[in-house]
Amino acid sequence: MGLGARAGHLLLIGLLVSIFGGLALAVLSLPSESPGLSAQVEAAMADTGVTHPVTAVLLDFRGYDTLLEMVVLLLALASVWSLAEGSPFADRRPGTMLDRLSRLYAPLMVMVAGYLLWAGSASSGGAFQAGTVLGAAGVVLTLTGWRLPIALAGWPLRLILVSGVLVFILVGLVSLFFGAVWLDYPLEWSGALILLIEAIASLSIGATLAALFLGGRPEEHP
Amino acid sequence: MDTAVLIQSGLTAPILVPLIGALLAFVIRRWASPIGLLSVAALLGAVILQVPELIADGPQRLAVGGWGAPLGVDLYADGLSIAMLLMTAVVGLGISLYAAACFRGTPARGQAFWPLWLLLLTALNALFLSADIFNLYVTLEILGLSAVALTAIVGGADALVGAMRYLLVSLLGSLAYLLGVALLYHAYGTVDIALLAERIDAEPAAWAAMGLMSAGLMLKTALFPLHFWLPPAHASAAAPVSAALSALVVKGSFYLLVRFWVELFGEIAGGVATLLGLLGAAAILWGSIQALVQTRLKLLIAYSTVAQIGYLFLAFPLAVGSGIMAWSGVLYLALSHALAKAAMFLVAGNLLRFGGHDRIADLDRVVQRLPLSMAAFALAGVSIMGLPPSGGFVGKWLLLESALTQGRWGWAIVIILGGVLAATYVFKVVGYAFTQSENPHQAQPVPATMEWVAFALAVAAVLMGLIVSQPLALFEIGNPFRIRTELAAP
Repeated sequence: MGLGARAGHLLLIGLLVSIFGGLALAVLSLPSESPGLSAQVEAAMADTGVTHPVTAVLLDFRGYDTLLEMVVLLLALASVWSLAEGSPFADRRPGTMLDRLSRLYAPLMVMVAGYLLWAGSASSGGAFQAGTVLGAAGVVLTLTGWRLPIALAGWPLRLILVSGVLVFILVGLVSLFFGAVWLDYPLEWSGALILLIEAIASLSIGATLAALFLGGRPEEHP
Repeated sequence: MDTAVLIQSGLTAPILVPLIGALLAFVIRRWASPIGLLSVAALLGAVILQVPELIADGPQRLAVGGWGAPLGVDLYADGLSIAMLLMTAVVGLGISLYAAACFRGTPARGQAFWPLWLLLLTALNALFLSADIFNLYVTLEILGLSAVALTAIVGGADALVGAMRYLLVSLLGSLAYLLGVALLYHAYGTVDIALLAERIDAEPAAWAAMGLMSAGLMLKTALFPLHFWLPPAHASAAAPVSAALSALVVKGSFYLLVRFWVELFGEIAGGVATLLGLLGAAAILWGSIQALVQTRLKLLIAYSTVAQIGYLFLAFPLAVGSGIMAWSGVLYLALSHALAKAAMFLVAGNLLRFGGHDRIADLDRVVQRLPLSMAAFALAGVSIMGLPPSGGFVGKWLLLESALTQGRWGWAIVIILGGVLAATYVFKVVGYAFTQSENPHQAQPVPATMEWVAFALAVAAVLMGLIVSQPLALFEIGNPFRIRTELAAP
């Protein structure tokens, strides 16, 4: 290694150490107890139609953020599909063990996802957790050689993939008929509308995650 | 339905129109191109509809979800946001028309392009309208990810390497930004910009947040010396994508730097303004010299972007003494650079399709064979150099005037020197367009739309120099730069 390169490395190390030191200093200077917004969230819970604060923040107070985060997920899939030509998973026969177990697991996982979704309104859980379990079920099925029927692999699959974001936008537009701004759900419908959004969202999140695992667009076979 | 609320909700249209368009283009792949064109045309209409309202009633604030800050997310539009939205919609329409013609021969690539491109527009518009630093993080994520995916769609080793580097840089920038957001939220208990502006104080947490967020955004804006990722990414992408990256995407993070500077960090920053200005000056000189020595047209244009971004950062030191004039100047430069640089990259795309290469030395009398494209390049060059009458001239003039009235000769010399260097690299290209090459090549036809769109954008960049008073009046709506008029009054 040349002298110049070594000096460069030392300079870089010095720079990183001083950045880290500065950040550590800033973090240590913060008060250990932050007021945050939890008191205001508590006070406003009665107007949300759900009883769990995390669900209220994700779907009601900052529903717009959540909508954009679902767009990020869809965008990740659109990006992968723009790169990959067809899925690398060719048809394969699973072993007996995997075959039997997946028959047992898959329905169970769908049930767990449904429970997580329902539990989200009152305790921890909700669309993202349910969607993740659904996605995992999709991965297990993919590994055991199951494929989406070719008739469903085109636009019906893509419709499911976008349905989470689409339903979120449309439900938000319903507010306009009640004289409220976008995404301001009317109070008596709030709980039901949030459940509707979450149900569709978990389906589309699950489908997106499973499709990401699959790689390319399923209708295009390599 | 409540009409007032309905009109107020119009502020969400610039976000929702391209978003819904993206979803439709993703599902109905066969019709992706017409869906995309319609969405972008509707987007332009939606943005234009906002203008009279803004002029009549001043800045608009909309509490999405009805909660309002600090619990909810607010959208906010003033003159600055509307100017950026207009720029995005106009340049976006041009790029869309070009892309529709460009991808006609390769439908699979076009079908991949449209959803990503419409999501990129969604992210930009959401970014220009947001008043919430966490919401802005999500928009930055969508913006970065869609820009990376668009860079890669052309395929090939160059584009994939460029896109990969772009992805890593973009993620690093986002993470630094997010860390800053976490610090600010912990210290001040809110993520709303207006509330933060009331609470922020000169203390270590605020300084650290400023450093992290500014560094992340400077990385995404490609300010010298953090520009290393820009030339390979911008030069290897497909022509409409290069145009979008250089004209629009880097302006998104620059807009945030300006916003945060004015609202949050300007008061506590100390000497950082001079540092930003010095980096800008270095970018102007380094970018221009690099542009001058390039042998490939797209790399030349990409390095020219590095230099022009440098100009935008001169406002930070100059605004200290001259206020709105410096900010108006760089805003004018940003808008006309968007038009001119989009035109240049589209012309480069035309030349690439025409000759199969973009080697400057082998342009081979292209001025006789693609006169419209070369005219577009020359007109865009006029604005980039800053010759009158063009938007680039007005912007540089305002910057120069604010430097001279303060007697700050150093900045003035950099501004002029950058213009001279820009003239040199533009004329280098134009010169080779007239000469005969030693390696003549087989020419491919270029669709007329692709030529006319580039020409129209270049003409618009020049026209920006003729309609000066309206844009300048638009920038002042809602006093986005927080100029204290009562101090200036006698």
